[in-house]
Formats: sequence, C-alpha cells, structure tokens
Amino acid sequence: MHRVAITGLGCISPLGLTAVDHWRSARDGRSAIGTITRVPLEKLKVRVAAEIRGFDANDYFDHRIVDNLDPFTQYACVAAREAIADSGLDLAGELADETAVITGTGIGGAVTIDVNSERIYGEGKSRVHPNTIPRLMPSAATSQITMEHGVTGPSFTVTSACSSSNHAVGEAFWMVRSGRARAAITGGSEAILTYGSLPGWFALRVMDTETCRPFDRNRMGMVLGEGAGIVVLERLEDAQRRGAHIYAELAGFGMSADAQSTLEPSEEGAAKAIRRALDDGSLPPEDVVYVNAHGTGTQANDVNETRALRRVFGAAADRLLVSSTKSMHGHALGGAGALELVITAKALDEQIAPPTANLTDQDPECDLDCVAGMAREAALPGALTNSFAFGGLNAVLALRRAP
Amino acid sequence: MDDIEAKIFDIVAKERRLDRSTLSRDTKLEDIEIESVDLVEIIFAIEDEFDVDVPQEEDAFKLETMGDIVDGVRKLIEAKQAETAASGE
Repeated sequence: MHRVAITGLGCISPLGLTAVDHWRSARDGRSAIGTITRVPLEKLKVRVAAEIRGFDANDYFDHRIVDNLDPFTQYACVAAREAIADSGLDLAGELADETAVITGTGIGGAVTIDVNSERIYGEGKSRVHPNTIPRLMPSAATSQITMEHGVTGPSFTVTSACSSSNHAVGEAFWMVRSGRARAAITGGSEAILTYGSLPGWFALRVMDTETCRPFDRNRMGMVLGEGAGIVVLERLEDAQRRGAHIYAELAGFGMSADAQSTLEPSEEGAAKAIRRALDDGSLPPEDVVYVNAHGTGTQANDVNETRALRRVFGAAADRLLVSSTKSMHGHALGGAGALELVITAKALDEQIAPPTANLTDQDPECDLDCVAGMAREAALPGALTNSFAFGGLNAVLALRRAP
Repeated sequence: MDDIEAKIFDIVAKERRLDRSTLSRDTKLEDIEIESVDLVEIIFAIEDEFDVDVPQEEDAFKLETMGDIVDGVRKLIEAKQAETAASGE
C-alpha cells in the first residue's frame, strides 16, 4: 500500500482554460453561467448554461488530427497536457509502461452524435464522415491521451453519468495505492451542450431557467456545463523524492448504489458512499472541514445531500464548510467530479474554501454552512468531494492536506 | 483540366492542406503522404461531392497517383449516368 499524491492539475472549463484560472474564478465566486450562444435558442426552453468561451481547438491540435476529435476528447487532451506538464513527471521509459490513464465521461461524443443525426435525419444524407465512430466512442479521450504521451499502462474509460469522473479517479487512485500502477493520469470530460440533447434535460424538469442556486430557498434546478479536469496521481514517496509540488493527498474513495430510483436520490446511499470514503482513507471525520458538494441546485439533491452529511457527521456537520461550485461552472456531468476535484485540491493547497455563488436566501432544510458568496480562509486538514449520479450511483473522494 | 479533375484536386489539396498547384495527374499519393486514414476521408469527400458510392470491393488502397483517383471517379460517374439514363427510358 502506497500513499497517493496529487501532483498535477489541468482544466478546461467555463471558468477558464487552465486549472489556475478555473480555481481563481471559483475562489473569487465568479459564475460563468449565461445565455447559451452555441445553439439556436428559438425552440429551447432552457436558455442558460455554463459554456467554455475562447477555446479554439486549432490552437491546440494539428490540422491532421483536430477533425477526428470530438470536443470532449479535445478538452480532455488539453487538460491532460496541462496536468502532466504541471506535475513535472517525465513519462519516458519504464514509467510510461507503469502509468494508467483512466477517464470518465457521461455520454462521450455527444456533439458528434448530434452532427451525425442531423445529417442523416435532418438533411436526409446517406453518408457520414468516416471519423464519426472514432470520434463518438466514450473511450476516445483516454485513447488520445495515451497516444499523445506514449503511455502504455492500464487504460480505460468509466461511465456512470454524473459520477463518472469520481469513479474514474477513485479507480486510478486504488491502482496507484495498491501498486498496480506507478502513476495515473485521470479525471473526466464532457461536452453535452448540443441542440439535440438540451430538450431532453428540460423534459426531466430539473433545470433552472435563470441560474444555478444551490442550497437556496429559490433554487429551481441545475444548469448544464461542460469541460474537462485531469489530475496526475503518483506515489507520495515518489513525489517527495523528486521534490514535486503536492497539492493534496488523495486519501480515500467510497462508492455505493442507491438501488432505488433513477431520479430520486437516497439519503442512505449518499451517506454510505461518504462513510466508505472516510473509512477507505482512514480519515477521522473531525479532519474533514471542506466539502465540495454535489450541490446540483435541484430541490431533491440539496436537501438529500444535507441530510446525508448530517447522518455521517452528526452534530459536527455544523462545522463543515460545504460549497457547491456548480453554482459557477455548471454541471458538466461526467466531467463534473474532475472539475470539482481540481478545486478541492487547490482548496487544500491554499487553505481556502471556495464559495457557493447565487446563495442569498438559504433553505432552512439545507442547514449547513454553505460558504455563501465569499471564499473563506480556514484550517482545512481534509476534504470530501461528492458525486451522486442519476440512477443512484454514488462516488466520493476524500483528500488530506499535503504532508 | 475538366470539372471532375479540378474538384478532386481541390478535395485532396484541402484534406492534406497542400497548395493545389503542386498537384498533377502524375503526383504519387505516397509522395504527398496520403495514409489510409486520409484516404477514407478523401473517399468520403468525393462521395459527398459527386454523389457516387465508391464500392467497398473497389480496392481504393491500390490507387497510386492522382490520375488513378480521377479516372476511377470518372468511371463511377459515367456508370451512374448510364444507369440514370437507362432507368429514365
């Protein structure tokens, strides 16, 4: 068993095109939610989202390859490059063979599926571009990262809707901890703001039409986002030996299934995943101060998550700092956990709990300290980051401040 | 250079990001580094442009020069025109 360090961070998000910008915006409480610009709005009932702005794939990829990559793969690759460079890890020689690449995504090549369907159903064409299948497969991001960096260790993609990233990172963490991999490039990615899929979200009646207000009495639901977060994991002793900057220690991973309902979350299911993450990391509950909540801003989630935290922490839940950064970067589904892991690692690194934006009238049923509006400096020995997916698949990561 | 040839040169130049004036009928595909992945994209673009189907059994990977592509496409277009004319009678 090895202790596991997070030594590299990478991000492409609505909050910024680097992990540093993503973190700074979240810390400063700047929300990226606004009117959708990418698809025609006339027929849409949901007109707000957190979109990535200013990203031109041609700035990052050779012209021979760029057309073969769905945006979800482009985001993941760019985030991976940043994370690897940030870690300073030299992925040559044996290490390349012992490094795992595990990413999560909820849908995969949603943009490609949309374009393809429009061509066939809308335009009545009979042919589609030969890169269609390689672009849309959910494992494309993992494949592309292995190719770019010549990494030949265990590599695959995990999908579990909104928990995809946390399941991917958790699995990668266990691999490094157990010695089955020496290092891992892991996280998640999603690009789902497509004309064809947005009405599906509205049909669920869980979307806010203005902005995302987690834990607020007036919350109406979630706001979609997009993006990728990638982190580099390695043995703590390796990181210390080479003098790498350690953002945080990844200490524990817990997962559970509600086995109950597709859309209604379960208090016990969430609590079980949180408890298992703490147990897995031998993290005493009193060491957890910051919680990056799943915090979607739906009626059901926010109350359920509050109760789950109370169930695990008891009266001590009152000293937790619980924020939902989805109020700023939106809900990037399979990429969400990774965007939030980057924020959680930076929160421990800088000892600052980022805020929940748009929280002005707190719901008495969400009676935790939800860090309304402004970031808070505090001693943060440990943190949790929660993901609770539609379909009741829960995944929680537990982090410790770097030793 | 007729219309078919011009359009094919445009397609190949665009796919490989080459200056079109560097291409001729004698240009070897190997020399302009057309790999199998490029070829399937070029075939797709040709099918789309001329509304013809390049049959699977046609071994496109045996094509050697730009001229081979042009001749192959011309044959497909002529076959299609003959078929249309026949069905129109």
